[in-house]
This record gives sequence, structure tokens and C-alpha cells, in this order.
Amino acid sequence: MPRPARRLFTMLVIVVLSCIAPLGFALADDADALRRELQQLREQLATLTQSYEQRLKVLGNRLEQLERGRAPAPASAAGTAATPAVSTPTAATEAGLAPDVPTLADLARPRQPFALAQPGRVLLFDIGVGGDFVADVTSATRERRHDGTFAGRENRLFPREVELGLFGRVDPYASAVVRISAGEEPAGVEPSSRELDVRLDEANVTLLSLPLGTTARFGLMRPRFGTLNTVHQDDLPQVDRPNVLTRFFGEEGLDGERGVEAFWVLPLSTYHELALGVFDGDNEVAFGRGSLRDPLVLGRWRTFWELDEHGLQLDVSAATGFTSDDHRNTVVGVGAKYKWIATGSGFPVFTLAGEALAGFRRADAAAGETGDRRFERWGGYLYGQYDLDRRWAVGLRGDWTELPVARGREWALSPYVQFKPSEFLRFRVQYKHTEGRGAVERTADELFLQGSFILGAHPTERF
Amino acid sequence: MDRAKCGYTRNRAADRSLVRTLTTAALVLLAAALPARAPAQARLKVLATLPDLWAITRALVGDLGDVQVATRPGQNPHDLEIRPSQILLVKRAEILVRNGLDEDAWIDPVIESSGNPRLLRGAPSVVEAVRGVDVLKVRTGPVDRSLGDVHPGGNPHFTLDPGTLPVVTANIVAGLGRLRPDLVERLEQNRRRFLDEVAAATRRWIEALAPHRGAGVVSYHDSWPYFYRAFGLEEVGVIEDRPGVPPSPQHLAGLIRQMRERRVKVVLVESWYPTDTPAAVARAAGARVLVIPQSPGAVKGTETYIAHLDAVIGALSRALAE
Repeated sequence: MPRPARRLFTMLVIVVLSCIAPLGFALADDADALRRELQQLREQLATLTQSYEQRLKVLGNRLEQLERGRAPAPASAAGTAATPAVSTPTAATEAGLAPDVPTLADLARPRQPFALAQPGRVLLFDIGVGGDFVADVTSATRERRHDGTFAGRENRLFPREVELGLFGRVDPYASAVVRISAGEEPAGVEPSSRELDVRLDEANVTLLSLPLGTTARFGLMRPRFGTLNTVHQDDLPQVDRPNVLTRFFGEEGLDGERGVEAFWVLPLSTYHELALGVFDGDNEVAFGRGSLRDPLVLGRWRTFWELDEHGLQLDVSAATGFTSDDHRNTVVGVGAKYKWIATGSGFPVFTLAGEALAGFRRADAAAGETGDRRFERWGGYLYGQYDLDRRWAVGLRGDWTELPVARGREWALSPYVQFKPSEFLRFRVQYKHTEGRGAVERTADELFLQGSFILGAHPTERF
Repeated sequence: MDRAKCGYTRNRAADRSLVRTLTTAALVLLAAALPARAPAQARLKVLATLPDLWAITRALVGDLGDVQVATRPGQNPHDLEIRPSQILLVKRAEILVRNGLDEDAWIDPVIESSGNPRLLRGAPSVVEAVRGVDVLKVRTGPVDRSLGDVHPGGNPHFTLDPGTLPVVTANIVAGLGRLRPDLVERLEQNRRRFLDEVAAATRRWIEALAPHRGAGVVSYHDSWPYFYRAFGLEEVGVIEDRPGVPPSPQHLAGLIRQMRERRVKVVLVESWYPTDTPAAVARAAGARVLVIPQSPGAVKGTETYIAHLDAVIGALSRALAE
């Protein structure tokens, strides 16, 4: 072969080899990748097979138990047999205990809102949402002076309380309740500064299996004091809380106390309940000391008599603690509630209830005097309500109260009408005429409109 | 400063007095609570949540104990409010017989207030009568309040079918026997005697309603599916189509049309419901309203299970024959 031809042949060989060599390496890489993928697929298949075998085993066990006429074993026990660590999501899924991870198709599908029950799904506690919206329509003067019943929210429709309630059994020996609420705060200096105040209303545990028939609860709660103080905002018989309670304890009554409370139903032939509680004292109006060194101590005795369609409840309460400026304050309350319920359909119902509070409080003396002064003030309310049927009720409440410290008193009359389309929806219209003297000098005419709803679980009504 | 010191001294003295008072009060309370642990009486103390369970349990217990009921006979268990007197009943009871399908879910907060942990749900002293009963109308789809105040677990009025009683009574006797094994034999005797009586009465009831087998019936509330199944009647519709919610005009118009087509003669109304809407529906459809007690004891002389169904079936057969 001539030299130029040999050189050309050599160059061709080099060029061809340089082109083929990377291809060979690439083919080798692909084969490796394929081997790895194959191995991964094998592993996934093995995992899936194992998972399905475990699921089949669990289902087989359940079927066997059902065939034997027994309730299925608790899911956790079944899961434990299949996989030791059921608490991890993977293990739980493998045991068929947790819902599958949603696919894109699942996410795109229209979904149901919260439902009370769905087949195959169990909620281990109850969830309820309550909404309470109020409109306070009054004169421009009341609005300007912010001295209406809902101070700072006059001539507005506002969410007084939207509450999320979670309640249920903690274990065989205890139950718990957690309530979180949001409500509109009164306007500040700037009318545009309205904000929703979200707060923890209640978070307490009730111990149900204590010795001597004792029931006790601890945490954040609405204490057992008086007749209406224990009732939540949305369950009140009228739109607003009676004046005596708001003057002595603030707009929401004696609420949000941290402490412990025990109660007993005495083993007697008639009903007698005793309650005793010790709390921090976090009520800004009456007991704001906020320390267990100077605790708020509460006690209540309640009794009940029932004869055919008549029921009568009486209660006597006492609360003593320290105000935020370190003065002793004691409030004593007496309440009564009578109800007549027609036999048969349970309607009509007539309710007559009233409560009186007396406050014994020390406060700073007037300027120029030394020591402190003792104030003895009292007030009360009385209302009657007639439930014509399940849906309609009319009522009238009268208020009279002195102010706990300042010189002044007020009375009010509030007729109202209530309409309940169902157990879960309620509307009220209430007119309130208030006459105040002294520090609360005013004449106020207000019209309240209220709409309340319950979504989901709701507690049973109490007497 | 002087004022603060003066107030402080007075407050501390008052505190000591308060602590003494509270300690005394606590001791008095404890002493008062002590008799609650007195040994159990020889007689059974049973509480039934609803009048039908009360009537059945009384037949089983006989003279072996006292059976109380937490609702007044004739009272609508759907609209119940908790009364302190119920707390007292729960506190005194040793064993609780409940429906098990949440018709009596109101008893749970009563128990929690009573200081009697033996009756908490899931405890051995609690009998759920429904266990093993073939429950009708169990909801299969999502359940929310758009369906009214529904019972997601199914229709709870199962005792209106005498055919469920062998299971229901077995549950109750088993529960009572857990508490008092020494009484099981006598309870079982009572049970057999009661079931024999019910079987004889059932033959009588079937005979009374035999001429009307297949007749269509409408009721105000959905209380009767087990009763219809037992006696061969057909449910044409329910006025209150969503429990606890007044019916819509569209629903009533459709129901009246159906009633005319099926020649429905009777609208059953439980004695605790208003009769104005059922009367209007019955008038429009050419039927008549029959107000009957849905549970024993609502009418004098119907305190037993058999007397109650005697009254119901007697009134219904007469109404269907007209």
C-alpha cells in the first residue's frame, strides 16, 4: 500500500474508533441503568407483595372475627400483628389503617364538606362550630359615646362569637373540651381599628372516676358560679347577658378562669350538688389578682325539685378573691329557675328565672382620704319566657343593678321574640330600654338582631 | 403607703379565716359524700334511658330489683333537655340499659355530671340493647345536617318489632348477669316467660293486622320501619322527611300525590308531635290522622310492652278497617 494511502487508512480507522468508542461506553451505561431500574422494580414488587399479603392477613383476621360474631379487633391491635411499628405512617398504610395518599385525580374530585359520619371513617371526638352574630341598632348619641350594651359596636352587625369546640373522651377515666373563639373587639380610638380577637376560651379535662363520687376538672374554664354565668354566650336565653352580670364581672361574665374545680352530687333523696373551685383570678373587672397566692375561691350549692311537669332549681353561690389592685372582693349570688312543660308534645313551655348578686368590695378611697372604702352593692334580673312550640318563643326580662364601686345604678326592660327554624339555627329580635343614673347616666333604646347557628356536634340542652 | 399596709394586714387575717372556713366546708363535703360508697343492696338498681327499654327491662327484672327510666313516658326523646333529677337517677343506678344508636346520647353528659363512673360508655355495667339487632336505614353516604338531626348508625326504634326482642332481652340479661351472676338463672327464667308472652301476643297482633297486610301507611316521624316490617305494612312516606326540620311544601305536595295514588288511609302521628301539618296532609289525601303513643307508658294502662303494642295495634287496625 502506498504511504499516502496507508496514512489515509490509519486516519479513517482513528476517526471511526473515536466515533464508536463513546457509543460503546454509552451502551454500557444504559445497560447498568437498566439493571438498576430492574432491581428497583423487583424491590418495589417485593414491597408491594409484602404489603398486600399483610393487608390480606389483617382483613382475613377481621373477617374471621366477624364470622365468629365478635366485634372486629381494634385496628391498632391488628396492625401490631402485621407490623410492629404502626405509629409510623408507612407501617400504618401497609396495615391498611390509614387512608391512601391522595392522587391528583382524588384532589381534583369535588369533595364533601365536614360530615358527621362517613362509612369506614371514625372520628374519635366531636367537633362543633357555633356562630353568633349580633346587630345593635341604636341612636347616634349612644354610638358616639360608646355606652350601648355592646360598647364600641353600636350600629354594627358583628360576630360576637364564632366558636370552634372540640370535645370527647380522653380515655376511660376522663373527658376534655377545648373551645377556641373569635369575636369582634370594640372599636378603639380609630373606628377603622376593629379586629377579630381570637382566643382560647376553654381547655379543661374532667376526671370522671375519682373516689367518693367526686368529679373534678382542671384547666381553663367557665366556673360553676350562679345560674346564667355558666351559660355560654350563644346559649343565653336573651341576646345580651343581664346587666348585673356584666356590671359585676364584665361583658362575658366570670369566664376564662384557670384553676381546678370539684363537684359532688350528694347521696340524698333529692338533688343537691356542691361545687368548690380554686382559680388564679383572671377576671379584670372583679378578681384580677391573677395569682394562686391570692386565689379566687368559688363555691356553689344547687338543688332541684321536680313534680310531673313542674321543675324548680335553686342555687346559692359565693366567690371571693382579690381585685387587680389587691383589694378583697366577695360576690354572693342567689338564683332560681322554674319551668313548666306541657305533657305530651312538650310544648308550650313556660320559664321564669331570676338571680340576685350582692358584692362586698374594698376599693381605694376618694382623693384626700386615707385607707380604703368598703362598697356593698347589689343587683338582679328576672325573666319569663313562653315557648309556644318548637319554633316560636316570646319573653321579657327586667334588670336592675347598682355599679360595683362607682356611684350609679340602672334598670332595663327587654322584650324579645325567638324563632328557631330547626334545632341548629336560631334568630332573635330584642328591644332594650335602659335608664341609668349616676356614673351611667343615660337613656338608651336599642334594637338587637341575632342570628346563631350550630355546625356539627352540639351539646344537649340543660334545664 | 399606710393605706396599702393596712389593707394588706386586714387581707391576710381575712385569708386565714377563709382558709379555715374552706377546710371545714371541704371536710363536710367529704363526710356527706362518704355514704355513696355504701355496699350494694341485694336488689338490682337498673336505669333505662327510654320507656321502651324500661318496659322490657322491668319484665326481665321482675321482683329482683328496681328499674327506673331517665325520661318521662310520653316525652319526646329527641327534644330532651338535661335535668338535675336525671343526674340523681344515674348516680343511684348500678347498671344502665341504653339504646345504643344515639337516640339517648343525651345520657352521656348526665353520666359525666353524676360522679358514677360505672355507667360511663364502654363500662361493663352498660348494656347497649341494639347489639346484634338487624338495624334498618343505616346511612351509607356522607351524613351531615342537611339531612336533619339524623341517626348515622341507623333507625333506633327497633323495639317496635317484637322479632328483635330475643336479641334485645339477651343483651339485657347478659349485662345484668355480669353485675349479678347469682341472679342469671332467675333472670333467664323471667326472659323465657316474657318471650313466651310476647310470642303469644305477636300471633294475636299479626292476626289483627292480617286483613290489612300490604296497606300503605304514612307517619309524621320515621319511627315505624321495624313495626311495618313486623306486621307486613308498607311505608309510603314520612311527613318529616328530615328529622327535626319542618317539611317543605314541595315534599308535602309529592307525599299527598303518592298517598292518593296508593289510597293511604292512615297518617300515624306520635303523641308528642303537633298534629296541624299531619291533619292538613291527611285532609288533602283523603286519609285520617291517628295519634298514638310511640313508647310504653305515654297513655295510662300501657306501661308494659305488650299493653303498649296492644293499644297501638288495636287503634291502627280499627283505623285501617274504616
